[in-house]
Amino acid sequence: MVRFKHRYLLCEVVSDDPRCRLSLDDRVLGGLVRDTVARLHGTFGAAACSIGFAVRYLNAYTGIVLLRCRKEFYQLVWSALPFITHLESKGHRYPCFLNTLHVGGTIRTCQKFLIQYNRRQLLILLQNCTDEGEREAIQKSVTRSCLLEEEPGEEELSDEWMSLRVPDTSGRFVTSASTCPFISGWNAPIPPEFLTLDF
Amino acid sequence: MPAPAATYERIVYKNPSEHHYMKVCLEFQEHGVGLNVAQFKQLLISALKDLFGEVDAALPLDILTYEEETLSAILRICSSGLVRLWSSLTLLGSYKGKKCAFRVIQVSPFLLALSGNSRELVLD
Repeated sequence: MVRFKHRYLLCEVVSDDPRCRLSLDDRVLGGLVRDTVARLHGTFGAAACSIGFAVRYLNAYTGIVLLRCRKEFYQLVWSALPFITHLESKGHRYPCFLNTLHVGGTIRTCQKFLIQYNRRQLLILLQNCTDEGEREAIQKSVTRSCLLEEEPGEEELSDEWMSLRVPDTSGRFVTSASTCPFISGWNAPIPPEFLTLDF
Repeated sequence: MPAPAATYERIVYKNPSEHHYMKVCLEFQEHGVGLNVAQFKQLLISALKDLFGEVDAALPLDILTYEEETLSAILRICSSGLVRLWSSLTLLGSYKGKKCAFRVIQVSPFLLALSGNSRELVLD
């Protein structure tokens, strides 16, 4: 039927510097992607990609970004992502790169992929972690994620996390670093709410 | 006796030529502007980069002949980049602040076709 079709690019911001992910901002990142597309594909590319372009989801802890673009021009955006080398915010430049994890036609397929990906990442973290306290915390998260899989009715978000998820003016949820306490990289227990990703 | 089943083999030989050749001429609004061949190529690449970015500025573009007096040239471009080159030449408006325009005289996938132009044919 007649509707605008989009492609959703699920990307991960990878950086050596732990402060890079925390200073992620959806507007800064959107501007950065647009500038890179303009540099790489010229006036034509900038105009073609910016019509349906939006940053739909951003997670400052894990560095996961969900970008939306029109289906006809998603390859222009996708090909521009490897050329992003620095993230600039508040006068600091952090070297980073965007790793594309999944391309989906809807937000729901990307969400399903992200839940499976997060579960796999938890298991990898469990193997790699060194501290006993962290190991217990991660094991608790893993068991909780397995429990959630069996009982899908119990997806209640705790009040603390609800208050931290700020609905933006356009209605989407952005977990930005300014509202969340500092957590160093991946070594913290991931609350199971991120495994279910309610929007 | 039933006729034997007809077996046939169809061979389709498409010969899309890899390159397209364009004969273009650059016209300035004012007279007396000269460009050497390097500046001409720089102008073409900057036109491509402006409209289509770094990716298309790296298209394999060659200037086969260039005449400095008439500012006309024969260009060779790979076939996938023909539309982009032509549209970026169309949208090029100025060189170093001076207004100019590209006139595309002939386009052909065969270089031999550019040697004779029926528009310039003079009948005795």
